[in-house]
Amino acid sequence: MSLNEVKEGKSCIIKKLGGDRKIIQKFLDMGFVPNSHLKLVRNAPLQDPIEVNIKGYNIAIRRSEAAHIEVEKL
Amino acid sequence: MIKVALAGQPNSGKSTIFNLLSGVYQHIANYPGVTVDKKSAFLEHKEHSLEIVDLPGTYSFSSYSLEERVAKEFIIDEKPDIVVNIVDASNIKRSMYLTFSLLEAGIPVVVVLNMMDIAADYGLEIDSKKISDMLGVKVVTTSGSKGEGKEKILDAIVETYNKSSQYRAFEINYEELEPSIQIVEEKISYDTAPLTKRWYAIKALEQDSQVIEKIKSEDSSFDEVIIKDQEEFFHSTYDKDINQFLATFRYDSADIIFHKCVVEHKKGEISTSQKIDKIVLNKFLAFPILALIMFAFYQLAIVGGYKITDYTWPILAAFKNMVISVMPEADMATIPMISDFAIWMVNSVNALLNYIPIFFILFALIAIMEDSGYMPRIAFLLDRVFRKFGLHGQSTLPLILGGAFTGGCAVPGIMATKGIADERARMATILAVPYMNCLAKVPFYTLLLGAFFVSEMGIMMFMVSTVTLFIALIVAKVLTSTVLVNRQTTPFMMELPTYHIPTLKGVLITAWQRVWIYIKKVVTIVMAVAVVLFVMLEFPGVDSKVQEQIAQEEQKALVSFDKSVSKTSFYSDIDSRDKVSSLLNFYDLYRAKRMNSSTSEAVAKLDSEFEAKNSIFFEIIRGDSKDAKAINKALRNLSKDRNRLLRQIKEEKISNSLLGSVGKAVESVTQYAGFDWKINIAFLSSFAARESAVATLGSIYENNKADNLRAEEAMAQNSGYTPIHAVIMIIFMILTPPCIASMIVIKLQTGKYRWMVFAIMFPITVGLGLSILLFNLANSYAWSGLETMIYFYISMALTAITLGFLPNKSINWKGGFATK
Repeated sequence: MSLNEVKEGKSCIIKKLGGDRKIIQKFLDMGFVPNSHLKLVRNAPLQDPIEVNIKGYNIAIRRSEAAHIEVEKL
Repeated sequence: MIKVALAGQPNSGKSTIFNLLSGVYQHIANYPGVTVDKKSAFLEHKEHSLEIVDLPGTYSFSSYSLEERVAKEFIIDEKPDIVVNIVDASNIKRSMYLTFSLLEAGIPVVVVLNMMDIAADYGLEIDSKKISDMLGVKVVTTSGSKGEGKEKILDAIVETYNKSSQYRAFEINYEELEPSIQIVEEKISYDTAPLTKRWYAIKALEQDSQVIEKIKSEDSSFDEVIIKDQEEFFHSTYDKDINQFLATFRYDSADIIFHKCVVEHKKGEISTSQKIDKIVLNKFLAFPILALIMFAFYQLAIVGGYKITDYTWPILAAFKNMVISVMPEADMATIPMISDFAIWMVNSVNALLNYIPIFFILFALIAIMEDSGYMPRIAFLLDRVFRKFGLHGQSTLPLILGGAFTGGCAVPGIMATKGIADERARMATILAVPYMNCLAKVPFYTLLLGAFFVSEMGIMMFMVSTVTLFIALIVAKVLTSTVLVNRQTTPFMMELPTYHIPTLKGVLITAWQRVWIYIKKVVTIVMAVAVVLFVMLEFPGVDSKVQEQIAQEEQKALVSFDKSVSKTSFYSDIDSRDKVSSLLNFYDLYRAKRMNSSTSEAVAKLDSEFEAKNSIFFEIIRGDSKDAKAINKALRNLSKDRNRLLRQIKEEKISNSLLGSVGKAVESVTQYAGFDWKINIAFLSSFAARESAVATLGSIYENNKADNLRAEEAMAQNSGYTPIHAVIMIIFMILTPPCIASMIVIKLQTGKYRWMVFAIMFPITVGLGLSILLFNLANSYAWSGLETMIYFYISMALTAITLGFLPNKSINWKGGFATK
């Protein structure tokens, strides 16, 4: 499933990154590396973007970008 | 000289450390060819002189953002002696990712564990000695926001520098990737010192375009194919991508450091930041809180700033009076050009300097929002709305500064676009902000509304101030789907940093630096434009026939004055033209100053000042005796005559001037929008500063006979315009942002003159087109002024909403056969 399907407050593990080279590099630089834990902190009041916690810090990401991240429920 | 580069991730407190090291003596420039700020400072420590350069904050060292490219270019080309890496101690796991990239480069590194106080709050116990041993570099602990650590950092820099010959480049053993690194490293045939070949090889394997270009420029025999080969080999052998492999490796290394050197005492506790976000980002509370903060922002900066200008304006006025007093005086209706010029220049500069208190507060508040961490939260809340128009969540603040509702200023608005991560959205924001409701346009609207829409003023003003947001959104959407369509867009991933209390020093330094840029870049260029405009208004001047006629009238006025006063006892003091002229100047100056003195003490002071200057003139002006009273009366008439003549000269001059000719020349087009040449001149002169549009229109339509008529009334009576003319003028003014100050800032922020030219020409074309269309529609359907405005408002609102639903062009598909 993609990161978009994760419910508020739930955690998951990153399985695979999709998209072009540029976005993958950006994912990596921001800490979205395969096999790391991730928690969906909250959806924005307008439902997009979403806030996730990864490697101890919080990051906002648009749903269109989150769709490239494949995760597995914990 | 020790050259030091300061590197670190965003929100690591890097600029606080830079401010701590450098103090207020900072040098700000741009990195060559880009609009990224380059801050540097020079200082002395232990008999060494240091140059410290603050690199842009970057999460990594890849080449995907402008900041990353700039930072890496500096390391590659400028070859600093020491790299100081600022690490957020409260988040070592993430921050050290960059540290490992830096360490590999081969330049000696000093690691600064910053924000130790926050780490302690989180219950983190960090063994910095152990980190130092593990990495083989100096590790210093600081709390920048408390002003702690300057000496320690400088000591560590100097010590590392003195021992740099013993420094051995840091290496991570990348295990299965090692053979590939070896292969690429051997292909690099030139000396890369002080950077290691290994670093170049690793970067090349990451397919870092900047590094590959650099290698190829040094060594033309280097063939990129080898990178592709290794990538394919690695992928097929280990089923891993090199980039992901390297990133994982670096994060794992950071993880090892964390687990070996950090003890967590409060694991699982909810931090203060998280508690704040529970409220600030709450579904129901977020928007009311945002509105409240924006309102407070506005009140403090615009309303509060204006109050301060009540105190600073007298300083500027005093400056103006001082300039006037040293300039040659007027001889009846002949004012020396040098005096005219000096007053013109002072007026132009004062109009801009007057905004400095407002700007200072605005810039300070922006700095507080940035440093506290609230700014990215605004983007988080509103991104969805703005994205629909090709903008970014981070466009919110620039647009509000530009003038949501009651009026703002494009200058700070455009300057606040700096942080927008997405290049296309940043450009669109820069170009859309000038459409917001500019504060200096308000007097212009007030003048026209006061003249033609007295009873509908409230609703008209509401439409004027709110339609601007729709227009800005339309412009943004249109530009991002046309001229900006191929601009780079960046994936939206934005850190929501821990909240911090900003430091007073940091806020003041930032605010001052931005104000200084305004003074240095904007005010100076406005002065140059003011000179040009002055020349265009002044030449070729009044023609000789009119001059003659004016001289005659002047003579007539003088003769009649002479007749009225020849019997008085003061006659010997006022029996020549020179004497009368200086009496007249004395009289006018006294009256002008008297009008500005509100308290009785001020009046007494003014009186004694003028009495000391010329006691006889003062006696006449006081008009206590019968003779003095008679002269006083004659003087009043003479003063009126002179003012009438001055206005006539001014009108003649404007009508004859180069600017007047331009105004008349474009009348052939503008007449279809109902603009005559006088209005054209007002619009043209508003280019230097908006305020002058009102001044020009006011002076053109001032009633020559009745002095006490207000400008609005005079305009309604004398101009021959209808309310439709007025509405079209207002609409044109709404649509035409070019004010020289904001255009210069556009040049500064986009780095290109052609964007400035575009920002001038595009609105003029659109504004004129729409004005012509509406003027003809209004006339042929016999709309009232209010109706015209309502139709305009509704069509703008509908267009904006419709455009918001159109999808943005962005390439999301992939696959198919490779075409290359």
